[in-house]
Amino acid sequence: MDRRHFIGQSTAAIGLLAGFLGQAHANLPKAEILVIGGGYGGATAAKYLRLFSNNTAKVTLIEPNASFVSCPLSNLVVGGSRTMADITSPYDNLSKRHGVKIIQDSVVGIDPDKKTVKLASGKILPYDKVIVSPGVSLLMNSIEGLTQANKAGVTLQAWKAGTETVTLHQQLAAMRDGGTYAISIPEAPYRCPPGPYERACQVASFFKQSKPKSKVLILDANQDVTSKGPLFKKVWAEQYPGMIEYLPKHNVTAVNAKTKTIQFEIQDEVKADVLNLLPAMSAGEIAVKTGLANSNGRWVNVNFLNFESTAQKDIHVLGDSIQVAYAMPKSGHMANQHAKVAAAAIVAELSDWEINPAPVLTNTCYSFVNAKEVVHVASVHQYISAEKTFKPVPGSGGVSPGPTTLEGVYAWGWAHNIWADALG
Amino acid sequence: MQVHRMKLTLVAGTFFSLAALASISQAQSTDATQLYHRGLAATCANCHGTDGKGVLDGGMPLINNVTSEQMLTQLKAFKSGAREGTIMPQLAKGYSDEQLEIIANQLGKK
Repeated sequence: MDRRHFIGQSTAAIGLLAGFLGQAHANLPKAEILVIGGGYGGATAAKYLRLFSNNTAKVTLIEPNASFVSCPLSNLVVGGSRTMADITSPYDNLSKRHGVKIIQDSVVGIDPDKKTVKLASGKILPYDKVIVSPGVSLLMNSIEGLTQANKAGVTLQAWKAGTETVTLHQQLAAMRDGGTYAISIPEAPYRCPPGPYERACQVASFFKQSKPKSKVLILDANQDVTSKGPLFKKVWAEQYPGMIEYLPKHNVTAVNAKTKTIQFEIQDEVKADVLNLLPAMSAGEIAVKTGLANSNGRWVNVNFLNFESTAQKDIHVLGDSIQVAYAMPKSGHMANQHAKVAAAAIVAELSDWEINPAPVLTNTCYSFVNAKEVVHVASVHQYISAEKTFKPVPGSGGVSPGPTTLEGVYAWGWAHNIWADALG
Repeated sequence: MQVHRMKLTLVAGTFFSLAALASISQAQSTDATQLYHRGLAATCANCHGTDGKGVLDGGMPLINNVTSEQMLTQLKAFKSGAREGTIMPQLAKGYSDEQLEIIANQLGKK
């Protein structure tokens, strides 16, 4: 070996070593990590990126709302037994306690090539990693006349907790005794599988107390109740006999705001006094607009080990926007769990560590059947490396035997803890 | 002669560097494992609080006052069916014994 050759090789080896040394931890604190959307997924991701990096990662959360309003439990506001204050939490602990930079703004565009995000204010932010957690978009055009009916205030959705949640309760409170409230459910998958059935219970609970001649009509595009079916049906029969009517395979195609008439693909039209039509849903608008929705143009396929979009590198997508694995619900709890797997994977990747090859997710969902009693569904999902997906563990998970007030206490316990876990 | 000395220096330097690399790799592996364990324990945080520190008077049973040993005993009792409950018997059955042990070690009172 001649001298030049030897020196060349050694220098290369040392250079490689220096590369390792330099990369070991340097990428993590230097990286710009943006989180779009401060819901159950995004807020949790922002906090856990800081926790898992021992507060070394630079994390910026972009969220248009001033405070966090929970969709889970918002049906109690629709039913009138709780107020918006009960389901609203501040964002400021994320910055005060955890050092997350919060920008109150909306994202109008993501440029995956330049690796930048554009805000409604016009500001452009560079990123090394971006987490996109925008929830769902309601596909208003999937029901003819729905956009106009919504603008006229006739058909609210209240499927993103906020002003519509309160207005829907006001409409129910203003309805005559003997009137009909109709809720329609799109074909699965949609946000919060048991949510519409819980809402029907909450509205019936309100009617039972204040306008007992009234009716609740559930118009379901699905073959049968999509979650906790036997439990809900038992409650409807026992607690709300003659009040709740359940109609499966009723796919809403159009609504007339003037006559408050709902049309279906097959069956005859029906009229109602308060209309609460839920259209089909897709990944949040920003995910679709960025070209991430590569599953039927509606949902985002991700690598389940790190929740990176299969369409774009360094864009990680969480929560309701993703194409779910088998038996994985679109729920707030699940979004929180996605967030932790993604946060840990991003910290590992930027530290040059192997990503956890065996992540675990859980889901817990409590539904109130009246103001106090609750039923749950729970599951555990382990990553199956051979199939590159999560699967529920056989023999685990399940539902309540029936509604109890004890689970009502636990449901609020869940809420207080998950809000603190994401935001506290 | 000069070349020979340089060779020795470089060989020694490379050897030292590889040893350092091995030790860094070991440190990374420990840190990475710790991260996996924190991630696994975080699956419990939705109901029982970040790092097992639940909201006081929040309505959910607190787990921050039990030792790792006590916690593991309870988790295994939920898994076997020896202890009844609402959600915990259903969730405990979804974890391997090794995972329950990691969780108990992470969240048990230190």
